[in-house]
Amino acid sequence: MNFSVHNTPLDTPVPGTGSTAGTAPILELRDIRIEYKGHEVVHGVSLTVQRGEVIALIGPSGAGKSSLLRSINFLEQPSAGQILVNGQQVQGQAGRRGAIARNKALATHRRDVGMVFQQFNLFPHLTALENVVLAQVHSLGRNKDEAVARARQELAHVGLTGHEDKYPAKCSGGQQQRIAIARALAMDPQLMLFDEPTSSLDPELGVEVLNTMKRLASEGMTMLVVTHEMHFAEDVADRVVFMADGAVVEEGPAEQVMLHPASERAKTFLSAVRGR
Amino acid sequence: MELLVLLSSGIGQTLGITFGALLLGSVLAVPLAALRRSELPAASTAAKILIEGIRGVPPIVWLLLIYFALGETDLKLTTFQASVIGLGIVSTAYIAEIYRSGLDAIPGGQFEAADALGMPFGAKFFKVITPQAATVVIPPLATFAIGLLKDSALASVIGAQDITFRAFQEAQANLNGLTVFMWAALLYILLSIPIAALARYTGSRLTRKVAA
Repeated sequence: MNFSVHNTPLDTPVPGTGSTAGTAPILELRDIRIEYKGHEVVHGVSLTVQRGEVIALIGPSGAGKSSLLRSINFLEQPSAGQILVNGQQVQGQAGRRGAIARNKALATHRRDVGMVFQQFNLFPHLTALENVVLAQVHSLGRNKDEAVARARQELAHVGLTGHEDKYPAKCSGGQQQRIAIARALAMDPQLMLFDEPTSSLDPELGVEVLNTMKRLASEGMTMLVVTHEMHFAEDVADRVVFMADGAVVEEGPAEQVMLHPASERAKTFLSAVRGR
Repeated sequence: MELLVLLSSGIGQTLGITFGALLLGSVLAVPLAALRRSELPAASTAAKILIEGIRGVPPIVWLLLIYFALGETDLKLTTFQASVIGLGIVSTAYIAEIYRSGLDAIPGGQFEAADALGMPFGAKFFKVITPQAATVVIPPLATFAIGLLKDSALASVIGAQDITFRAFQEAQANLNGLTVFMWAALLYILLSIPIAALARYTGSRLTRKVAA
């Protein structure tokens, strides 16, 4: 299907709710399909995220977890399916390199959805503070003073007071990832996406990031986390979604999926990762 | 010393042609580089053909082409203007490739991060991409500028009154070619030193930030 250019209220009620507003889930993915060069890697995944929920997306590499997560803010263009935020369908266009924010609807959607990348993707030519200020000024139109004050607040929030003037290259990986989290939080997102946020960190530095994420979860932030950190999935997530081969194999309350998986595929995966 | 004063009267045209062509090339190279990186195969192929076409013709041939082609029209161009345009065309192709390599050097994650933050195209390009591309682009651009300064001597062939033109005139009048061209060579060296120094300074300032 084609994704065109506007946020439009959906004519059809959201199934199970009978209404499009108020009670609508914060995020709903309907039958999302993603293709690379004609090869489908995500085969029609549907997922509903309620406000304040923390969902861990786990599964073997190549399961399509990251592709699915990235499609939520159109860094990957779904080849089919619908993405609804608060019951409103979001429609976007993407180019080869992620996307140029060609239209306001897409840009607005992206401001509402915070994204934390595996490789941090901080802007290397800007200090920690400037990294957190930049999009506030240029995407949200906040004035500079307000943006700076907010940036200091968010950097403090992730435990980085005193590091404001450092360039990313002078920060540890864990600090860089926390700057990236602060950068996303400063945009007042309704929902935060984490794409393997600790996978490129030493275990010791990963803990800093995981603790920050735990705190966000306890503050009620809605989070969708692609992760290989099984303890995080078990301890912090409300729900765990297990994906393999481009499809959701099993999903449910964290304890149920992590400790008593029903599917053979999830059992095999979990016993393999826990056996390490 | 008198010779140096005489040759110095060509500095204005030498620098004017060099920086005029550089400016023209720097500006025209922006759309050409954008086209070269286009996702549309037809656009990027067209840009590639244009770039290879321009680079495949010697600069002196470009100068003569422009000079004679525009001579056919009603446009009354001075030799200076024709030189700026001719070398400007050549510069466009080279600088477009320099820009392209600068943009290619930026990790895709930088574009994605800016997109994920909902940044509009202008802010993404000028606040995120360009400052990083500049560190990659400035050294080869400076090398190109110094090369262009020397290539500007070709403009003397179509009669632009630059350093080389003055040297030619003097050498023919007084049969002192060796001395005259030695002074001319010295003058070119003196002019290229500040360009190199400026480029090194700017380059290191930018790099220090990013690679800190």
